[in-house]
Amino acid sequence: MRVITKTLLCLAFALPVAHAQIKPQTIGSNETMSDPGPNWFVVHAGDAGYVFDATTGEMQGLISIANQSPGVRANMERKEFYSPSVFWSRGTWGERTDRLIVHDFENLSPVAEIEIPPKATLLGFRAYTGMMSDGRHLGINNLTPAQSISIVDVQDREFVGEISTPGCSLVLPVENNDFLTICGDGTLMMIDLDKNGQETNRVRSDKFFDVMEDPIYDRPQRTTDGWFLFTHGGKGFNVTTSGNSVSTSSTFDIVSEDDAADGWWPGGRELASVHKGLELLYVTMHQGGQYSHHEPGTEIWVFNMAAGIRIGRIEFETPVAHLLVTQEDEPLLIIGDEEGGTHVYDALTFTHERTIVMPSARMYIDL
Amino acid sequence: MNTKNIVDKTYYWIDHTAKEQTLRLARMISRRNFLSRLGAMLAGAATLPLLPVARSFAQESVQEIGDDQSCEYWRYCALGGTLCTCCGGTITSCPPGAEVSPITWVGTCHNPADDRDYLISYNDCCGKSACARCSCHNTERDRPVYFPSNSSSILWCFGTETRTYHCTVAVVLGEAAGGD
Repeated sequence: MRVITKTLLCLAFALPVAHAQIKPQTIGSNETMSDPGPNWFVVHAGDAGYVFDATTGEMQGLISIANQSPGVRANMERKEFYSPSVFWSRGTWGERTDRLIVHDFENLSPVAEIEIPPKATLLGFRAYTGMMSDGRHLGINNLTPAQSISIVDVQDREFVGEISTPGCSLVLPVENNDFLTICGDGTLMMIDLDKNGQETNRVRSDKFFDVMEDPIYDRPQRTTDGWFLFTHGGKGFNVTTSGNSVSTSSTFDIVSEDDAADGWWPGGRELASVHKGLELLYVTMHQGGQYSHHEPGTEIWVFNMAAGIRIGRIEFETPVAHLLVTQEDEPLLIIGDEEGGTHVYDALTFTHERTIVMPSARMYIDL
Repeated sequence: MNTKNIVDKTYYWIDHTAKEQTLRLARMISRRNFLSRLGAMLAGAATLPLLPVARSFAQESVQEIGDDQSCEYWRYCALGGTLCTCCGGTITSCPPGAEVSPITWVGTCHNPADDRDYLISYNDCCGKSACARCSCHNTERDRPVYFPSNSSSILWCFGTETRTYHCTVAVVLGEAAGGD
Protein backbone atom coordinates (compact mmCIF):
# COMPACT_ATOMS: atom_id res chain seq x y z
CA MET A 1 0.00 0.00 0.00
CA ARG A 2 2.81 2.37 0.91
CA VAL A 3 4.47 1.70 -2.45
CA ILE A 4 1.27 2.50 -4.36
CA THR A 5 0.81 5.76 -2.44
CA LYS A 6 4.37 6.89 -3.21
CA THR A 7 3.91 6.02 -6.89
CA LEU A 8 0.71 8.04 -7.15
CA LEU A 9 2.34 11.00 -5.45
CA CYS A 10 5.24 10.90 -7.91
CA LEU A 11 2.81 10.80 -10.85
CA ALA A 12 0.83 13.68 -9.43
CA PHE A 13 3.95 15.85 -9.36
CA ALA A 14 5.13 14.63 -12.76
CA LEU A 15 1.89 15.37 -14.72
CA PRO A 16 2.07 19.20 -14.55
CA VAL A 17 5.63 18.98 -15.82
CA ALA A 18 4.41 16.98 -18.82
CA HIS A 19 1.72 19.62 -19.56
CA ALA A 20 4.21 22.42 -19.20
CA GLN A 21 6.18 20.99 -22.08
CA ILE A 22 3.35 21.70 -24.61
CA LYS A 23 4.02 24.84 -26.62
CA PRO A 24 1.08 27.25 -26.25
CA GLN A 25 -0.87 27.66 -29.48
CA THR A 26 -1.58 31.00 -31.09
CA ILE A 27 -4.60 31.97 -33.13
CA GLY A 28 -3.76 31.60 -36.79
CA SER A 29 -4.80 33.80 -39.68
CA ASN A 30 -8.38 33.46 -40.88
CA GLU A 31 -9.40 30.83 -43.36
CA THR A 32 -10.51 32.09 -46.75
CA MET A 33 -13.10 30.46 -48.95
CA SER A 34 -11.84 28.86 -52.11
CA ASP A 35 -13.79 29.23 -55.33
CA PRO A 36 -16.97 27.16 -55.15
CA GLY A 37 -16.45 23.59 -56.26
CA PRO A 38 -18.88 21.00 -57.64
CA ASN A 39 -22.11 20.61 -55.71
CA TRP A 40 -21.58 23.65 -53.53
CA PHE A 41 -24.71 25.41 -52.42
CA VAL A 42 -26.00 28.07 -50.03
CA VAL A 43 -28.64 27.49 -47.38
CA HIS A 44 -30.55 30.68 -46.57
CA ALA A 45 -31.59 30.16 -42.96
CA GLY A 46 -32.54 32.88 -40.51
CA ASP A 47 -30.30 35.89 -41.05
CA ALA A 48 -27.46 33.97 -42.68
CA GLY A 49 -26.37 32.17 -45.81
CA TYR A 50 -24.50 28.95 -44.97
CA VAL A 51 -22.13 27.84 -47.72
CA PHE A 52 -21.83 24.06 -47.97
CA ASP A 53 -20.11 21.47 -50.09
CA ALA A 54 -22.85 18.90 -50.59
CA THR A 55 -20.32 16.25 -51.62
CA THR A 56 -18.60 16.28 -48.25
CA GLY A 57 -21.25 17.93 -46.13
CA GLU A 58 -18.62 20.38 -44.86
CA MET A 59 -19.52 23.99 -44.20
CA GLN A 60 -17.28 26.48 -45.99
CA GLY A 61 -18.33 29.75 -44.37
CA LEU A 62 -21.23 32.07 -43.65
CA ILE A 63 -22.70 35.19 -45.23
CA SER A 64 -24.45 37.59 -42.87
CA ILE A 65 -27.82 38.57 -44.28
CA ALA A 66 -30.38 41.06 -43.01
CA ASN A 67 -33.21 39.38 -41.17
CA GLN A 68 -35.60 40.57 -43.85
CA SER A 69 -34.34 39.91 -47.34
CA PRO A 70 -35.85 38.59 -50.55
CA GLY A 71 -32.87 36.26 -50.91
CA VAL A 72 -29.26 35.74 -51.89
CA ARG A 73 -27.85 35.40 -55.37
CA ALA A 74 -24.35 34.44 -56.49
CA ASN A 75 -22.40 35.87 -59.41
CA MET A 76 -19.81 33.22 -60.27
CA GLU A 77 -17.97 35.42 -62.78
CA ARG A 78 -17.53 38.33 -60.41
CA LYS A 79 -17.15 35.99 -57.41
CA GLU A 80 -19.71 37.91 -55.39
CA PHE A 81 -22.91 37.31 -53.48
CA TYR A 82 -25.75 39.83 -53.54
CA SER A 83 -28.38 40.13 -50.84
CA PRO A 84 -31.04 42.85 -50.99
CA SER A 85 -31.40 43.79 -47.35
CA VAL A 86 -33.95 45.72 -45.33
CA PHE A 87 -32.77 47.60 -42.23
CA TRP A 88 -34.71 49.46 -39.55
CA SER A 89 -32.98 52.27 -37.70
CA ARG A 90 -33.98 50.83 -34.31
CA GLY A 91 -33.73 47.15 -35.08
CA THR A 92 -37.38 46.22 -35.47
CA TRP A 93 -38.79 49.73 -35.85
CA GLY A 94 -37.77 53.16 -37.02
CA GLU A 95 -36.73 54.43 -40.41
CA ARG A 96 -36.37 51.84 -43.14
CA THR A 97 -33.40 51.76 -45.48
CA ASP A 98 -32.89 49.16 -48.20
CA ARG A 99 -29.46 48.24 -49.50
CA LEU A 100 -28.09 45.70 -51.92
CA ILE A 101 -25.19 44.24 -49.94
CA VAL A 102 -22.29 42.81 -51.94
CA HIS A 103 -20.21 40.05 -50.30
CA ASP A 104 -16.98 38.72 -51.75
CA PHE A 105 -16.30 35.00 -52.13
CA GLU A 106 -12.93 35.05 -50.39
CA ASN A 107 -13.98 36.32 -46.97
CA LEU A 108 -17.77 36.26 -47.36
CA SER A 109 -17.62 39.82 -46.06
CA PRO A 110 -19.61 42.86 -47.15
CA VAL A 111 -17.46 44.79 -49.62
CA ALA A 112 -20.03 47.24 -50.97
CA GLU A 113 -23.57 48.41 -50.44
CA ILE A 114 -25.85 50.11 -52.92
CA GLU A 115 -28.88 52.13 -51.86
CA ILE A 116 -32.11 50.91 -53.42
CA PRO A 117 -35.71 52.14 -53.00
CA PRO A 118 -37.18 51.04 -49.64
CA LYS A 119 -39.61 48.76 -51.40
CA ALA A 120 -37.94 45.34 -51.59
CA THR A 121 -40.21 42.40 -50.84
CA LEU A 122 -39.57 41.25 -47.31
CA LEU A 123 -39.99 37.48 -47.49
CA GLY A 124 -37.58 35.25 -49.39
CA PHE A 125 -38.33 33.62 -52.75
CA ARG A 126 -35.74 32.49 -55.29
CA ALA A 127 -37.56 34.36 -58.08
CA TYR A 128 -37.64 37.65 -56.16
CA THR A 129 -34.17 38.39 -57.51
CA GLY A 130 -32.71 37.68 -60.92
CA MET A 131 -29.36 38.37 -62.56
CA MET A 132 -29.73 39.51 -66.16
CA SER A 133 -27.91 37.71 -68.96
CA ASP A 134 -25.15 40.36 -69.00
CA GLY A 135 -24.14 39.36 -65.47
CA ARG A 136 -24.18 43.04 -64.58
CA HIS A 137 -27.77 44.04 -63.84
CA LEU A 138 -29.66 42.54 -60.95
CA GLY A 139 -33.46 42.74 -60.74
CA ILE A 140 -35.08 42.95 -57.29
CA ASN A 141 -38.81 42.47 -56.74
CA ASN A 142 -40.65 45.36 -55.02
CA LEU A 143 -44.04 45.36 -53.36
CA THR A 144 -45.58 48.35 -51.57
CA PRO A 145 -48.16 46.80 -52.56
CA ALA A 146 -47.61 48.52 -55.91
CA GLN A 147 -45.51 46.14 -57.96
CA SER A 148 -42.18 47.09 -59.52
CA ILE A 149 -38.64 45.85 -60.13
CA SER A 150 -35.48 47.68 -59.02
CA ILE A 151 -32.51 47.36 -61.39
CA VAL A 152 -29.02 47.57 -59.88
CA ASP A 153 -25.73 47.74 -61.76
CA VAL A 154 -23.42 45.50 -59.71
CA GLN A 155 -20.40 46.46 -61.79
CA ASP A 156 -20.66 50.21 -61.28
CA ARG A 157 -22.26 49.68 -57.86
CA GLU A 158 -25.23 51.90 -58.55
CA PHE A 159 -29.01 51.79 -58.60
CA VAL A 160 -30.15 52.17 -62.21
CA GLY A 161 -33.88 52.64 -61.86
CA GLU A 162 -37.25 51.26 -60.93
CA ILE A 163 -39.43 49.58 -63.52
CA SER A 164 -43.15 49.64 -62.86
CA THR A 165 -44.82 46.26 -63.37
CA PRO A 166 -48.46 46.79 -62.36
CA GLY A 167 -50.18 43.47 -61.78
CA CYS A 168 -46.96 41.51 -62.31
CA SER A 169 -44.22 40.20 -60.02
CA LEU A 170 -41.07 38.03 -59.96
CA VAL A 171 -37.89 38.32 -62.03
CA LEU A 172 -37.29 35.68 -64.71
CA PRO A 173 -34.19 36.67 -66.72
CA VAL A 174 -34.01 35.63 -70.37
CA GLU A 175 -31.58 36.31 -73.19
CA ASN A 176 -30.52 39.78 -74.38
CA ASN A 177 -30.60 41.31 -70.93
CA ASP A 178 -34.40 41.01 -70.82
CA PHE A 179 -36.61 39.52 -68.16
CA LEU A 180 -40.09 38.11 -67.78
CA THR A 181 -42.52 38.74 -64.97
CA ILE A 182 -45.71 36.79 -64.18
CA CYS A 183 -48.96 38.72 -64.26
CA GLY A 184 -52.26 38.21 -62.50
CA ASP A 185 -54.19 38.57 -65.76
CA GLY A 186 -52.81 35.23 -66.94
CA THR A 187 -49.99 36.56 -69.11
CA LEU A 188 -46.24 37.06 -68.95
CA MET A 189 -44.72 40.46 -69.51
CA MET A 190 -41.26 40.77 -71.03
CA ILE A 191 -39.25 43.89 -70.22
CA ASP A 192 -36.37 44.68 -72.59
CA LEU A 193 -33.35 46.32 -70.99
CA ASP A 194 -30.57 48.08 -72.84
CA LYS A 195 -26.90 47.66 -71.98
CA ASN A 196 -27.28 50.30 -69.27
CA GLY A 197 -30.18 48.51 -67.62
CA GLN A 198 -32.81 50.98 -68.84
CA GLU A 199 -36.15 49.74 -70.14
CA THR A 200 -36.50 50.04 -73.90
CA ASN A 201 -39.62 48.01 -74.59
CA ARG A 202 -42.23 45.75 -73.02
CA VAL A 203 -44.48 43.12 -74.56
CA ARG A 204 -47.09 40.69 -73.24
CA SER A 205 -47.62 37.05 -74.02
CA ASP A 206 -51.06 35.76 -74.87
CA LYS A 207 -53.15 34.81 -71.87
CA PHE A 208 -52.35 31.17 -71.09
CA PHE A 209 -53.69 30.62 -67.55
CA ASP A 210 -56.47 31.78 -65.26
CA VAL A 211 -55.28 32.93 -61.85
CA MET A 212 -58.62 32.16 -60.26
CA GLU A 213 -59.13 28.74 -61.86
CA ASP A 214 -55.63 27.27 -61.71
CA PRO A 215 -52.82 29.78 -61.07
CA ILE A 216 -49.23 29.39 -62.17
CA TYR A 217 -47.02 28.68 -59.17
CA ASP A 218 -44.79 31.58 -58.13
CA ARG A 219 -41.84 29.15 -58.29
CA PRO A 220 -40.70 29.33 -61.95
CA GLN A 221 -37.87 27.04 -63.06
CA ARG A 222 -35.04 28.03 -65.41
CA THR A 223 -34.46 25.73 -68.35
CA THR A 224 -31.76 25.71 -71.01
CA ASP A 225 -33.75 27.84 -73.43
CA GLY A 226 -36.31 29.56 -71.25
CA TRP A 227 -38.50 28.76 -68.26
CA PHE A 228 -40.73 25.94 -67.09
CA LEU A 229 -43.89 27.01 -65.29
CA PHE A 230 -46.52 24.83 -63.67
CA THR A 231 -49.90 25.43 -62.14
CA HIS A 232 -51.21 24.57 -58.69
CA GLY A 233 -53.07 21.71 -60.39
CA GLY A 234 -49.87 20.42 -62.01
CA LYS A 235 -50.16 21.55 -65.64
CA GLY A 236 -46.79 22.34 -67.19
CA PHE A 237 -45.85 25.10 -69.63
CA ASN A 238 -42.67 25.83 -71.53
CA VAL A 239 -41.79 29.49 -72.01
CA THR A 240 -39.39 30.78 -74.64
CA THR A 241 -38.61 34.24 -75.96
CA SER A 242 -37.44 35.48 -79.31
CA GLY A 243 -36.89 39.11 -80.16
CA ASN A 244 -40.03 40.90 -79.08
CA SER A 245 -42.23 37.87 -78.59
CA VAL A 246 -42.96 35.57 -75.68
CA SER A 247 -44.20 32.07 -76.46
CA THR A 248 -45.92 29.76 -74.03
CA SER A 249 -46.81 26.18 -74.85
CA SER A 250 -48.43 23.39 -72.89
CA THR A 251 -46.12 20.52 -72.12
CA PHE A 252 -46.41 17.46 -69.90
CA ASP A 253 -48.59 17.47 -66.82
CA ILE A 254 -47.04 16.85 -63.42
CA VAL A 255 -50.36 15.45 -62.24
CA SER A 256 -52.02 12.92 -64.55
CA GLU A 257 -55.74 12.24 -64.43
CA ASP A 258 -55.11 9.12 -62.36
CA ASP A 259 -52.85 11.05 -59.98
CA ALA A 260 -55.51 13.74 -59.65
CA ALA A 261 -58.11 11.10 -58.86
CA ASP A 262 -55.81 9.89 -56.08
CA GLY A 263 -55.60 13.45 -54.72
CA TRP A 264 -51.97 14.24 -55.63
CA TRP A 265 -50.94 17.90 -55.72
CA PRO A 266 -47.63 19.75 -55.93
CA GLY A 267 -46.89 21.58 -52.67
CA GLY A 268 -44.25 23.07 -50.44
CA ARG A 269 -42.13 26.22 -50.30
CA GLU A 270 -39.34 26.10 -52.89
CA LEU A 271 -40.98 22.94 -54.13
CA ALA A 272 -39.34 22.39 -57.52
CA SER A 273 -35.93 22.36 -59.15
CA VAL A 274 -34.70 21.61 -62.67
CA HIS A 275 -31.40 20.10 -63.79
CA LYS A 276 -31.01 22.04 -67.01
CA GLY A 277 -28.42 19.83 -68.71
CA LEU A 278 -30.14 16.54 -67.96
CA GLU A 279 -33.62 18.04 -68.36
CA LEU A 280 -34.85 16.58 -65.10
CA LEU A 281 -37.57 18.12 -62.97
CA TYR A 282 -37.93 17.39 -59.25
CA VAL A 283 -41.20 18.37 -57.51
CA THR A 284 -42.47 17.75 -53.98
CA MET A 285 -45.90 16.11 -54.03
CA HIS A 286 -48.54 15.34 -51.44
CA GLN A 287 -52.06 13.99 -51.24
CA GLY A 288 -54.49 16.69 -50.22
CA GLY A 289 -57.13 19.00 -51.52
CA GLN A 290 -57.42 22.24 -53.43
CA TYR A 291 -55.55 25.13 -51.77
CA SER A 292 -53.05 22.73 -50.17
CA HIS A 293 -50.30 24.19 -52.37
CA HIS A 294 -48.01 25.02 -49.44
CA GLU A 295 -48.35 21.55 -47.93
CA PRO A 296 -44.94 19.79 -47.76
CA GLY A 297 -44.47 16.75 -49.95
CA THR A 298 -44.52 13.15 -48.77
CA GLU A 299 -42.85 12.26 -52.08
CA ILE A 300 -40.57 13.85 -54.65
CA TRP A 301 -41.50 13.05 -58.24
CA VAL A 302 -38.82 13.12 -60.88
CA PHE A 303 -39.68 13.85 -64.52
CA ASN A 304 -37.77 13.49 -67.74
CA MET A 305 -38.80 16.83 -69.21
CA ALA A 306 -37.82 15.96 -72.79
CA ALA A 307 -39.97 12.85 -72.81
CA GLY A 308 -42.59 14.30 -70.48
CA ILE A 309 -42.70 11.20 -68.32
CA ARG A 310 -42.21 10.54 -64.64
CA ILE A 311 -39.10 8.45 -64.03
CA GLY A 312 -38.97 8.29 -60.27
CA ARG A 313 -40.77 8.67 -56.98
CA ILE A 314 -38.91 9.15 -53.69
CA GLU A 315 -40.86 8.65 -50.50
CA PHE A 316 -40.10 10.47 -47.26
CA GLU A 317 -41.17 9.80 -43.70
CA THR A 318 -40.80 13.50 -42.87
CA PRO A 319 -42.48 15.67 -45.52
CA VAL A 320 -40.27 17.86 -47.69
CA ALA A 321 -40.77 21.64 -47.98
CA HIS A 322 -37.72 22.76 -50.05
CA LEU A 323 -35.49 21.19 -52.63
CA LEU A 324 -32.64 21.99 -54.97
CA VAL A 325 -30.82 19.91 -57.55
CA THR A 326 -27.21 20.89 -58.23
CA GLN A 327 -26.22 21.38 -61.87
CA GLU A 328 -23.24 19.03 -62.01
CA ASP A 329 -23.05 15.97 -64.29
CA GLU A 330 -23.44 13.83 -61.19
CA PRO A 331 -25.98 16.00 -59.43
CA LEU A 332 -27.04 15.92 -55.83
CA LEU A 333 -30.51 16.61 -54.55
CA ILE A 334 -30.69 18.86 -51.49
CA ILE A 335 -33.93 18.62 -49.56
CA GLY A 336 -35.25 20.45 -46.52
CA ASP A 337 -37.89 18.68 -44.46
CA GLU A 338 -40.63 20.34 -42.46
CA GLU A 339 -38.80 19.63 -39.20
CA GLY A 340 -35.85 21.71 -40.36
CA GLY A 341 -33.52 18.92 -41.45
CA THR A 342 -31.30 19.30 -44.52
CA HIS A 343 -30.48 16.08 -46.38
CA VAL A 344 -28.40 15.23 -49.42
CA TYR A 345 -29.47 12.57 -51.94
CA ASP A 346 -27.93 11.27 -55.12
CA ALA A 347 -30.17 12.97 -57.67
CA LEU A 348 -29.97 10.06 -60.13
CA THR A 349 -30.17 7.00 -57.90
CA PHE A 350 -32.29 8.73 -55.24
CA THR A 351 -30.21 7.24 -52.43
CA HIS A 352 -29.62 9.16 -49.21
CA GLU A 353 -26.00 10.28 -48.82
CA ARG A 354 -25.94 12.42 -45.71
CA THR A 355 -27.77 14.68 -43.33
CA ILE A 356 -26.43 18.16 -42.64
CA VAL A 357 -27.14 19.59 -39.21
CA MET A 358 -28.06 23.24 -39.43
CA PRO A 359 -30.91 25.69 -38.70
CA SER A 360 -34.16 25.31 -40.60
CA ALA A 361 -33.76 26.45 -44.22
CA ARG A 362 -35.75 29.16 -45.98
CA MET A 363 -34.37 28.17 -49.34
CA TYR A 364 -31.37 26.68 -51.09
CA ILE A 365 -29.30 28.44 -53.75
CA ASP A 366 -27.03 26.60 -56.18
CA LEU A 367 -23.45 27.76 -56.77
CA MET B 1 -103.11 97.66 -39.96
CA ASN B 2 -99.69 98.62 -41.08
CA THR B 3 -96.87 96.26 -41.93
CA LYS B 4 -95.09 96.80 -38.59
CA ASN B 5 -98.16 95.65 -36.64
CA ILE B 6 -98.49 92.52 -38.76
CA VAL B 7 -94.85 91.57 -38.08
CA ASP B 8 -95.22 92.25 -34.34
CA LYS B 9 -98.36 90.11 -34.11
CA THR B 10 -96.67 87.29 -36.02
CA TYR B 11 -93.68 87.30 -33.66
CA TYR B 12 -96.07 87.37 -30.68
CA TRP B 13 -97.99 84.39 -32.09
CA ILE B 14 -94.76 82.42 -32.61
CA ASP B 15 -93.52 83.20 -29.08
CA HIS B 16 -96.87 82.36 -27.53
CA THR B 17 -97.28 79.10 -29.42
CA ALA B 18 -93.71 77.98 -28.65
CA LYS B 19 -94.22 78.78 -24.95
CA GLU B 20 -97.51 76.89 -24.80
CA GLN B 21 -96.11 73.85 -26.58
CA THR B 22 -92.99 73.79 -24.38
CA LEU B 23 -95.06 73.99 -21.21
CA ARG B 24 -97.36 71.26 -22.51
CA LEU B 25 -94.36 69.05 -23.31
CA ALA B 26 -92.85 69.74 -19.89
CA ARG B 27 -96.11 68.71 -18.21
CA MET B 28 -96.29 65.47 -20.21
CA ILE B 29 -92.69 64.15 -19.83
CA SER B 30 -89.84 64.42 -17.34
CA ARG B 31 -86.48 66.01 -18.22
CA ARG B 32 -84.77 62.63 -17.87
CA ASN B 33 -87.23 61.10 -20.28
CA PHE B 34 -86.62 63.89 -22.79
CA LEU B 35 -82.83 63.53 -22.62
CA SER B 36 -83.01 59.79 -22.98
CA ARG B 37 -85.17 60.08 -26.10
CA LEU B 38 -82.90 62.77 -27.55
CA GLY B 39 -79.85 60.58 -26.90
CA ALA B 40 -81.48 57.59 -28.53
CA MET B 41 -82.33 59.68 -31.57
CA LEU B 42 -78.74 60.96 -31.93
CA ALA B 43 -77.27 57.48 -31.48
CA GLY B 44 -79.70 56.12 -34.05
CA ALA B 45 -78.71 58.79 -36.54
CA ALA B 46 -75.05 57.83 -36.15
CA THR B 47 -75.80 54.26 -37.17
CA LEU B 48 -77.92 55.09 -40.19
CA PRO B 49 -76.67 53.09 -43.19
CA LEU B 50 -75.20 55.99 -45.17
CA LEU B 51 -72.71 54.07 -47.33
CA PRO B 52 -72.56 50.56 -48.80
CA VAL B 53 -69.68 49.64 -46.45
CA ALA B 54 -71.62 50.97 -43.49
CA ARG B 55 -74.65 48.97 -44.58
CA SER B 56 -72.62 45.74 -44.54
CA PHE B 57 -71.42 46.46 -41.03
CA ALA B 58 -74.94 47.36 -40.02
CA GLN B 59 -76.09 43.81 -40.61
CA GLU B 60 -76.81 41.74 -37.58
CA SER B 61 -73.67 40.49 -35.87
CA VAL B 62 -71.97 37.38 -37.17
CA GLN B 63 -72.74 34.20 -35.30
CA GLU B 64 -69.55 32.85 -33.80
CA ILE B 65 -68.26 29.39 -33.11
CA GLY B 66 -64.82 28.06 -32.24
CA ASP B 67 -61.61 29.16 -30.51
CA ASP B 68 -60.13 32.35 -31.98
CA GLN B 69 -56.69 31.34 -30.66
CA SER B 70 -56.74 28.23 -32.86
CA CYS B 71 -55.66 28.10 -36.51
CA GLU B 72 -58.86 26.11 -37.19
CA TYR B 73 -61.11 29.04 -36.20
CA TRP B 74 -63.30 29.72 -39.22
CA ARG B 75 -62.15 33.30 -39.93
CA TYR B 76 -58.55 32.15 -40.33
CA CYS B 77 -59.15 30.01 -43.45
CA ALA B 78 -56.73 32.12 -45.52
CA LEU B 79 -54.51 33.47 -42.76
CA GLY B 80 -50.79 32.96 -43.02
CA GLY B 81 -49.13 34.50 -39.98
CA THR B 82 -49.36 34.88 -36.24
CA LEU B 83 -52.68 35.29 -34.46
CA CYS B 84 -53.05 38.61 -32.62
CA THR B 85 -55.49 36.91 -30.27
CA CYS B 86 -52.47 35.05 -28.85
CA CYS B 87 -50.37 38.22 -28.57
CA GLY B 88 -52.41 40.61 -26.43
CA GLY B 89 -54.83 41.68 -29.14
CA THR B 90 -58.27 40.49 -30.16
CA ILE B 91 -59.82 39.13 -33.32
CA THR B 92 -60.37 42.72 -34.54
CA SER B 93 -57.78 44.81 -32.67
CA CYS B 94 -54.00 44.92 -32.49
CA PRO B 95 -51.98 44.22 -29.34
CA PRO B 96 -50.76 47.22 -27.31
CA GLY B 97 -48.47 49.55 -29.21
CA ALA B 98 -48.79 47.86 -32.59
CA GLU B 99 -50.00 49.80 -35.61
CA VAL B 100 -52.70 48.32 -37.81
CA SER B 101 -52.02 48.21 -41.53
CA PRO B 102 -54.78 49.88 -43.55
CA ILE B 103 -53.94 47.74 -46.58
CA THR B 104 -54.84 44.07 -46.40
CA TRP B 105 -55.31 40.82 -48.18
CA VAL B 106 -58.79 39.38 -48.36
CA GLY B 107 -60.06 35.86 -47.93
CA THR B 108 -63.46 34.24 -48.22
CA CYS B 109 -64.25 31.93 -45.32
CA HIS B 110 -67.20 29.72 -44.53
CA ASN B 111 -68.82 30.23 -41.14
CA PRO B 112 -70.12 26.88 -39.91
CA ALA B 113 -72.31 28.62 -37.34
CA ASP B 114 -74.67 30.07 -39.96
CA ASP B 115 -73.50 28.15 -43.03
CA ARG B 116 -72.62 31.38 -44.88
CA ASP B 117 -69.48 32.65 -46.61
CA TYR B 118 -67.92 35.92 -45.43
CA LEU B 119 -65.28 38.27 -46.81
CA ILE B 120 -62.48 38.48 -44.26
CA SER B 121 -59.95 41.30 -44.18
CA TYR B 122 -56.61 40.16 -42.77
CA ASN B 123 -54.97 43.26 -41.35
CA ASP B 124 -51.39 42.92 -40.19
CA CYS B 125 -50.41 44.66 -36.96
CA CYS B 126 -47.01 46.25 -37.40
CA GLY B 127 -44.09 48.10 -35.87
CA LYS B 128 -43.08 45.56 -33.23
CA SER B 129 -41.09 42.35 -33.24
CA ALA B 130 -42.78 39.29 -34.67
CA CYS B 131 -44.98 37.83 -31.95
CA ALA B 132 -44.35 34.29 -33.22
CA ARG B 133 -47.09 32.73 -31.10
CA CYS B 134 -49.94 30.72 -32.64
CA SER B 135 -48.45 30.66 -36.14
CA CYS B 136 -50.91 29.55 -38.80
CA HIS B 137 -50.49 28.79 -42.46
CA ASN B 138 -53.95 28.48 -43.94
CA THR B 139 -54.28 28.90 -47.68
CA GLU B 140 -57.93 28.64 -48.68
CA ARG B 141 -58.39 30.54 -51.98
CA ASP B 142 -54.80 31.76 -51.59
CA ARG B 143 -53.19 33.05 -54.78
CA PRO B 144 -49.54 33.49 -55.78
CA VAL B 145 -47.51 36.57 -54.87
CA TYR B 146 -48.00 38.14 -58.30
CA PHE B 147 -51.71 38.43 -57.36
CA PRO B 148 -51.08 40.14 -54.03
CA SER B 149 -54.62 41.01 -52.95
CA ASN B 150 -55.31 37.33 -52.38
CA SER B 151 -51.84 36.21 -51.36
CA SER B 152 -50.96 35.20 -47.82
CA SER B 153 -47.26 34.84 -48.71
CA ILE B 154 -46.70 38.57 -48.25
CA LEU B 155 -46.10 40.70 -45.19
CA TRP B 156 -48.93 43.24 -45.35
CA CYS B 157 -47.45 46.02 -43.24
CA PHE B 158 -48.03 48.65 -45.88
CA GLY B 159 -48.97 52.25 -45.12
CA THR B 160 -47.74 52.02 -41.55
CA GLU B 161 -44.99 54.04 -39.90
CA THR B 162 -42.84 50.95 -39.49
CA ARG B 163 -43.31 47.92 -41.68
CA THR B 164 -42.07 45.18 -39.39
CA TYR B 165 -44.65 42.43 -38.92
CA HIS B 166 -46.11 41.64 -35.50
CA CYS B 167 -49.34 39.64 -35.94
CA THR B 168 -52.62 39.50 -37.88
CA VAL B 169 -56.29 40.20 -37.10
CA ALA B 170 -59.29 38.91 -39.07
CA VAL B 171 -62.14 41.37 -39.59
CA VAL B 172 -65.45 40.42 -41.19
CA LEU B 173 -66.15 42.84 -44.05
CA GLY B 174 -69.48 41.40 -45.01
CA GLU B 175 -71.20 38.43 -46.51
CA ALA B 176 -69.56 37.09 -49.66
CA ALA B 177 -71.61 37.33 -52.82
CA GLY B 178 -70.52 33.83 -53.83
CA GLY B 179 -67.66 32.18 -55.71
CA ASP B 180 -64.12 33.35 -55.36
